[in-house]
Amino acid sequence: MGKYIVKRLVLMIPTLLGVAVLIFFLMRVVPGDLVELRFAGESAFAQKENLDTERARLGLDQPLWKQFLVWIAGVVRLDFGKSMWTGAPIIEEIKLRFALSLQLAIMATIIAVLLAIPLGVLAALKQDTWVDYTVRIVSIAGLATPSFWLGIVFILGLLIVFKWLPPMVYTPFWVNPWQNMLQLIWPALAVGYRYSAVATRMTRSAMLEVLREDYIRTARAKGLWEQLILSRHALKNAMLPVLTVIALEFAFLMGGLVVTEQVFNLNGLGLLFVEAVAHRDYTLTQALVMLVAFVFIFVNFLVDLAYAWLDPRIRFR
Amino acid sequence: MRRCLGPLVTLFAVLWLPAAPPAAAQGMPRYGGELIFAVPSEMPSYDGHRESTFALIHPMAPHYNTLLRIDPMDRSGSKVVGDLAESWTVGKDGRTYTFRLRRGVKFHDGAEFTSRDAKATYDKIVFPPSGVASERKGSYVNIEAVETPDPHTIVFRLKFPSASFLSSVASPWNWIYKADILEKDIRWYETNVMGTGPFVFVEHVKGSHWVGKKNPNYWDKGKPYLDGYRALFIKDSAAQVAAIRGERAHIQFRGFSPAERDSLVAALGARIAVQESPWDCVLLATMNHEKKPFDDKRVRRALTLALDRYQGSQALSKIAIVKAVAGVQVPGTPFATPPAELEKLAGYWPDINKSRAEARRLLKEAGVPEGFAFTFKNRGVPMPYEPLGVWLIDQWRQVGLNVRQEVAETAKWFADLRGGDFEVAMDAQCGYMVEPDLDLYKFQSGPTSAAPRGISDANYTRQKDSVLDELYVKQSRAIDPEERKKYVREFEKRLLDEEVHSMYTLQWHRIVPHSARVKGWTVTPSHYLNNQLDTVWLTE
Repeated sequence: MGKYIVKRLVLMIPTLLGVAVLIFFLMRVVPGDLVELRFAGESAFAQKENLDTERARLGLDQPLWKQFLVWIAGVVRLDFGKSMWTGAPIIEEIKLRFALSLQLAIMATIIAVLLAIPLGVLAALKQDTWVDYTVRIVSIAGLATPSFWLGIVFILGLLIVFKWLPPMVYTPFWVNPWQNMLQLIWPALAVGYRYSAVATRMTRSAMLEVLREDYIRTARAKGLWEQLILSRHALKNAMLPVLTVIALEFAFLMGGLVVTEQVFNLNGLGLLFVEAVAHRDYTLTQALVMLVAFVFIFVNFLVDLAYAWLDPRIRFR
Repeated sequence: MRRCLGPLVTLFAVLWLPAAPPAAAQGMPRYGGELIFAVPSEMPSYDGHRESTFALIHPMAPHYNTLLRIDPMDRSGSKVVGDLAESWTVGKDGRTYTFRLRRGVKFHDGAEFTSRDAKATYDKIVFPPSGVASERKGSYVNIEAVETPDPHTIVFRLKFPSASFLSSVASPWNWIYKADILEKDIRWYETNVMGTGPFVFVEHVKGSHWVGKKNPNYWDKGKPYLDGYRALFIKDSAAQVAAIRGERAHIQFRGFSPAERDSLVAALGARIAVQESPWDCVLLATMNHEKKPFDDKRVRRALTLALDRYQGSQALSKIAIVKAVAGVQVPGTPFATPPAELEKLAGYWPDINKSRAEARRLLKEAGVPEGFAFTFKNRGVPMPYEPLGVWLIDQWRQVGLNVRQEVAETAKWFADLRGGDFEVAMDAQCGYMVEPDLDLYKFQSGPTSAAPRGISDANYTRQKDSVLDELYVKQSRAIDPEERKKYVREFEKRLLDEEVHSMYTLQWHRIVPHSARVKGWTVTPSHYLNNQLDTVWLTE
């Protein structure tokens, strides 16, 4: 097991290096220039002298290979440098938004899990009854409804019915839990609903498959208590694909909630990402891509470890 | 009928200016309260001399003063009044400007403001050291020297007389910085705040908000009225509307679309007030003179003749932030061309049938076949680029042209404009105040004193026109307003009618719906002006 973990951790390095090379050169291929954008403002006007000065200051006048080496040397030391747009350290820019994005991802995951697993199991157990049909309608509606649209509905509903709008400035949970919840519960519900729909469908189909397995029939033949069969034998085994779906969705939420963040004016990683790309902020975009890649790789790694716990038949080599 | 519409539309825009009550007439100011406003973008750095986005001005202008400013009660956005300079004189040769500075002005750290600070500030703007970017340095090329005969006097010596010099000193970007700080680190202001303004900096949470509180030692006794302000960075326009509707914000100073205004008025009724003004921003259809057939002025003239600006104004003003039919100056401002005179220019004729018949004739004469196809490059920004782009294409179609629109994301669009990689493209002009020197600069092909390298950095038409350059210089140096007006008109005629180097679409229209509790703020044609907040107050 220990050997397997070390092997997986070491394998992360070439993957991350590949991501680093790809994102560095892709950003340079995309048309547009950070310095021009910054100085042009709304008038589409920039003095050449300023452009040259700024390019030199940011090192953009250096050959590409040199820029890459300087950047990658920093990454190795976990120093991602400064944002080319704001001049602030990238760690600071990300740290500010990370707490909100992480909390939102956790809240949405909790909502999704709380909805998806009971509903998915229930739908499987009551297959082809009105319960199953209701769960299927609710989950398919969730799949078909973009979370940002649901967010807009929430906002309009709150404005029209209660003449109230969630707070627009993030307050950390440990500073004021009530204010924090007032702001984040709505996006968490909007995102959690869509997220739960995916997980409900997966739970239902996985449960249906497991419930037809021989060992379930055997357990029932042995006269085991039905609750025990479901929780210990069926659900645990059905969780393997569900866990994968939940984990990947969680990783996606860390940087992919762009429109939802816009709708609720959340200062999260998704909006930062979009702004960084729109500004052609090379250093910040590169750092964010590396972060998201790391989150995806790490979450996958954790899922693989969880497989062993859920299914002892899986042996790590 | 058509003949009446044009003047009426423009006249309406002009008459609109004095329509709302001036801020001074809004009752007795009340002290206290925190103004909360939405800012649709965020500043890259904190240095006003270096940046060019309103996202810097809106949250940060309250921390600073300038030597002169635009009168916060002046709806035309062109009346210059003193800020840190209490009076000024102009030498007989028109080349020496002497400003007497206020006494008793203190920076937020308690240090006294003197002419040394003003000089250090202007030295940074006009003569920045190598490696330091000064965004508007080009507007001050006529400054020969800045002198400080005593701690309360600053003198600017110019190379030649300049009609716009006082306006340039009233630029909302020229925040007065502290000399001691600049001496130690000329980049300090990129990441820090230290001014003499009515509000003191409290905090900036990136991506979220900016907070300022009342400066108790402000030199203008009795001001500011507010206890403080909070700027919320809200990028999405629907979220900005929701913030105002949900009373999480009082105002967003840049402006909203007509539909957003209507939805706020419908939802909030008497709790919302609306101020509107022609806006010193315009989109231009820029024709690349280096691409055929746009090197032929008959073709360029045909393209502008195809536009029914008066009908366009009526239709587009309902859905987009455009309204007035205008020439090179914002309607209602000192150097704007009156509607009757504007009608004589190509593309502004009241009879659109006559215009389009002439357009077809010119295209035929220039050898451009019916159905000639070209690509129009537009910027991927919905408002107002998208509706104006669709409108232009439809107008050109009506004279037998077949236009394909290519929408590019901002960075690519700008790179293509600068690189000349387009046939006809949407170009933008947005001034921080209504001033011919600023508004006409981009058409310089030089070399002139304003564009010494030979071509303006924003002359995307790539035209070379020494007559136009000469007219620019003449208007810029004409101290007598009437004489200057004459040159501005000549410039306009050459640019839009005789040579048709570029074509103006419709003047932007600034719509600022805000909480009726906000008083003491007046809309101007520029969203870069009037953000010091010293005159703003909130009702109960």
